Amino acid sequence: MSSFSRSAQQWATFARSWFLIDARMQPPGKIAVMCSVRLQGKHKPIYHSLDCGDHVVVINTRHIAFSGNKWEQKVYSSHTYPGGFKQVTAAMLHQKDPKAIVKLAVYGMLPKNLARRTMMQRLHLFPDDELPDDIRANLTEELPQPREIPRKLSEYTQEEIDAFPRLWT
Amino acid sequence: KSGSQVMTQICGKRMKASLGPPKKGNLVVCFSFKIEGQILDVPAGPQPPNPEAKCPIYRWNLQHKYNYTDVLLLSQFIRSDGGMLPRRITGLCPQEHRKIAICVQMAHRAGLLPDHKPKLPEGHVPKRLKPQLNRYLTRWSIKSVKPIYKAGLKWCKKRMSVGHPALKNNVRYSVKPLYIKH
Repeated sequence: MSSFSRSAQQWATFARSWFLIDARMQPPGKIAVMCSVRLQGKHKPIYHSLDCGDHVVVINTRHIAFSGNKWEQKVYSSHTYPGGFKQVTAAMLHQKDPKAIVKLAVYGMLPKNLARRTMMQRLHLFPDDELPDDIRANLTEELPQPREIPRKLSEYTQEEIDAFPRLWT
Repeated sequence: KSGSQVMTQICGKRMKASLGPPKKGNLVVCFSFKIEGQILDVPAGPQPPNPEAKCPIYRWNLQHKYNYTDVLLLSQFIRSDGGMLPRRITGLCPQEHRKIAICVQMAHRAGLLPDHKPKLPEGHVPKRLKPQLNRYLTRWSIKSVKPIYKAGLKWCKKRMSVGHPALKNNVRYSVKPLYIKH
């Protein structure tokens, strides 16, 4: 803002902000793209690869929505040691740990360097609406959801249902 | 055409007399009831812009414009337990009937039609609690899909299908093409 003093403007430019994203009924890939952009700091004109990322808090990761049949088709594999190769479907992994899908998605979208681990430490995932008070106090901005949630038939009012013309009799 | 009409209906039945075997000429008229009907003056709704077409979708010019989210449209072609009405009743042409059936399936799987579930018998308690997973644009039925354990490299990847190719000609107002294979 041009009305700020020089020191206040510098403080506002380099401050680390906290973003909130609600992942209810959203595809985890699109959430992960928004998270990775802000964790790297690529949304800022003063971007530099050395640490200008912000914090991102994602809530309702338990209520994520996959398009298509990905809950059954998508497989997450983990090679831990020879003979310890495990393959788990997205549905099974989500049941075991509701944060894992978003975490793996963001991890795969960040640049594959040593700064990735620090950026993942700045990502905060919560399966439901509850947030600890200190994180809630830090939040600065809420980001709009990437996907428009369609309305169920029970959410339409009777007037809207009546106003829609009958196509056949 | 206003005014009430009283319809009478007499149901005659040849009944066995309670005493003795039926003799000739024992025709007994048992029921006679009246059904009263009234012809009401309902104001005519909006007229279709293309009344000469045979299929209702073409009559209203909605050919490539509907999707699985248009529940108000889809709910006019389904039964109360969620199944599709037959084509000879709705009057849809075969291609549009198939597209509407596909959209109805996708809407059911997305949970957009919560009141059109089939009625379960009384006192039926499901044994295992099914996981409530949100989904949308599901082409295949949930039980029939197998996990892709070996997805392959980029040039030969086994893609996961989203949406349905029958709806590929839908109107799109964005520049990005429709991705069916994710």
